[in-house]
Amino acid sequence: MDRQFQHPMLPQATHDELARQNFVKSLKLHIVKNLSPGNKRVYEQVVKPQFEREHQREPQNRHEIRTAMQQHPHYRWWSALRRINQEMLWDAVNTSVERQLPELIERAKESDRQLGTLTLDPDFKIPAYQTAVDIHCMPGSYHSEHTTDDLAAGATYDRGVYIYGVGWLGPLNDDMGLSVVNNYLKPKYPDFRPAKILDLGCSVGHSTLPYVDAYPEAEVYAIDIGAPMLRYAHARAEALGKRVHFSQQNAERTHFEDASFDLIVSHILLHEIPLPAIRNVMRECDRLLAPGGMTIHVDAPLYSHMDAFSAFMYDWETANNNEPFWSAMRDLDLTAVMTEAGFAADRIIQTFVPNGAWKTAADNSQQGGGSRGSWFIVAATE
Amino acid sequence: MKKAKGKRPVYFDEPQLDKLLSALVALTGEVSVLRERLDTVEHLLATKEVISLAEIEAYQPEEQVAQVREQWRTEYIARVLGVLQEEIPSE
Repeated sequence: MDRQFQHPMLPQATHDELARQNFVKSLKLHIVKNLSPGNKRVYEQVVKPQFEREHQREPQNRHEIRTAMQQHPHYRWWSALRRINQEMLWDAVNTSVERQLPELIERAKESDRQLGTLTLDPDFKIPAYQTAVDIHCMPGSYHSEHTTDDLAAGATYDRGVYIYGVGWLGPLNDDMGLSVVNNYLKPKYPDFRPAKILDLGCSVGHSTLPYVDAYPEAEVYAIDIGAPMLRYAHARAEALGKRVHFSQQNAERTHFEDASFDLIVSHILLHEIPLPAIRNVMRECDRLLAPGGMTIHVDAPLYSHMDAFSAFMYDWETANNNEPFWSAMRDLDLTAVMTEAGFAADRIIQTFVPNGAWKTAADNSQQGGGSRGSWFIVAATE
Repeated sequence: MKKAKGKRPVYFDEPQLDKLLSALVALTGEVSVLRERLDTVEHLLATKEVISLAEIEAYQPEEQVAQVREQWRTEYIARVLGVLQEEIPSE
């Protein structure tokens, strides 16, 4: 079922475009259900015993497991299909977005600046680490522009993320922000009332908007490097009636004043940037946070949270889905990184937050039954 | 089809096999798209009690319909087999 929320900026699919997107979803589910589990069986029954015969010991890390697994036909077919599935996903959405791009651009102009603001920087330089490859194989990545007032990357991302996750981030793709709010901030810090909130690397604002709802008195700011993402984010937020101030800035060094925010968040930002940039982002959070403020960064689990085989499976993204910093980030000691950035060690928290808040919110009778797992967060207070 | 910047991994000993699989999956996808459209039409027709299966079997396309079909087939084949054009040097 396709239950993505039909806000006015969401690209509309023709019958065949939708059928193509449906196929991508079905193929993805086929891979996950019928082919992915085979890797573990192949490893346990064939690859690992063979490795042990040759080396007189178990594989010690994800790299040794990968080298051995890459020789097995099942892993190759699975990998090749996953890659093709990802390519077909973007193609199925791209062609649909390009067909209606002029209308989407016009629609964005109609709703411009009724609640929030959009500030683009014509002299902005996209960092080299973002242009080296197109992140997660989305052609043009977050930043490429091909026409005036282009927002195709944002529209493609909004629809593409929904299909990529087969809807598991919810009708508004907002599960990360919503789960942090409903399953962490509200229960753990019921008296926390941030007056100014900043979302770093907001893309189209999927996870930004839950903070607008959670703290209606707060001023909410959101930054990203990609102009087409921000144009779409602004139009989408306006269409959904949410006041957000979007601007094109690098989270490593922003234009905001010292100590100007009470809450600074990011959602799956850290794994898209290299270690020096992560260090800069954490230092910037330290600079921007007001006394009593809090920063929360959401991502998938780190390698220290899982066994070598699971780490090997996770690591697939690095080379196969254009995620160059995916594994480097997952190997980090984030407490050390944040301590070096200026946060007190005893005020840094690494924990897991139940996900699926959108399901619980949609159906209160589920009593948390919507959770399929958890988000990893690293948080700190100033 | 737009390509993502970055080196594409080679999954098989024979790299041409990677392309063959891409073509096969694209074809599988387009068959699915077609089947879905046909299913929509059949259901709408059945609901509205417009035409029978026998009438579909007996249908002969007019010239204009045949031309649109040909154009569609041209684009369809390019979509399925476009991957094979990648190694043609650009002029």
